[in-house]
Amino acid sequence: MMRALPLALLLSVGVPTAQAHDLQYTVTGGQAVVVRLFYPDNTAFSFESYEIYPRDGKLPVQVGRTDAHGRIAFLPDRAGQWRIRTFSADGHGLDFRLTTDATAGLSGSDKPFYERHARIVVGVALILGLFGLLNLYIRKRKRP
Amino acid sequence: MHIPDGFISPQTYLPAYALCAGLWWMGMHRLRARLDEATLPYVAVLTALSFVLMMVALPLPGGTTAHAAGIALLAVSLGVWMAFLAVSMVLAMQALLFGDGGITALAVNALAMGFLGSLSARITWRLLRPLHEGAALWLAGWVSVVLPALAVALVLGLQPVIAQDAAGKPLFFPFGLRVTLPALLMPHALVGVGEGILTWLGYRYLTRLRQRHAT
Repeated sequence: MMRALPLALLLSVGVPTAQAHDLQYTVTGGQAVVVRLFYPDNTAFSFESYEIYPRDGKLPVQVGRTDAHGRIAFLPDRAGQWRIRTFSADGHGLDFRLTTDATAGLSGSDKPFYERHARIVVGVALILGLFGLLNLYIRKRKRP
Repeated sequence: MHIPDGFISPQTYLPAYALCAGLWWMGMHRLRARLDEATLPYVAVLTALSFVLMMVALPLPGGTTAHAAGIALLAVSLGVWMAFLAVSMVLAMQALLFGDGGITALAVNALAMGFLGSLSARITWRLLRPLHEGAALWLAGWVSVVLPALAVALVLGLQPVIAQDAAGKPLFFPFGLRVTLPALLMPHALVGVGEGILTWLGYRYLTRLRQRHAT
């Protein structure tokens, strides 16, 4: 009996240490902000690196890689603005912000002003318009 | 190949802006006398073509995309300075209006694609034209894509060395040269093949058009 006492004491001291290595998990549903990243031809920006920072924060709250569909699932823990940086090794990527409200739902994000196809039309029109103006300027300059 | 905002450090983009501003000024100064009513329609159409080509992303193996740019066609048809200014204008428009390519990275993008792309295309074409015009045009197109890709790979790949926090973590683009060089050069070597064909076909068409207008 007396011999067993030190062993029992040693085991009881060791239990918390052993528990610290016992990784457990829970599964719950939650509201996530899902960002999908894709190229103009709809190819997913899959398995690429991303970082999420709180507004003006220097340390990321989440880092990882996009999934096979190019998605990032983010569960913000408070209302505020978040900065998302994504990058691939060949230099593609984005650096944009989104805002979540008090219920951690999405309430706003940076959006390109024009859609892809509209951009082409607007861009070509702008270029031709600018050169048209330049043409008028050159004519005026050459007029005696 | 358009570097977005947040990928390159101020230590990189501020000197790039200074260099680019000097080249833009020099380009405008040189072209002031050359631009006339006969040249402008060609410049306008080729600039618009370059813009459209840059907006059309081609899917490549490995789940990435790339695009042609029409830079060599601009350079061999209209000269280095004209091509540099036209491409810079396209890049500025894309960055300021459409969010394609960063505003901070504009000068680096303009130097790589606009200046290096045009200069390398023009030199290649001038050197090889006496030997074989078709091959010279094709190679000019290929070089105009691959050399800027090399420059962008170097700029991006050096960022982890140029800007780090106290713990040694890269503050901007996180991948080094071992990653960026193959990641950029391999797809662009492929895109360069298409750019070469485009340069060859485009130049032939423009030459015929100019001859018809001259007669």
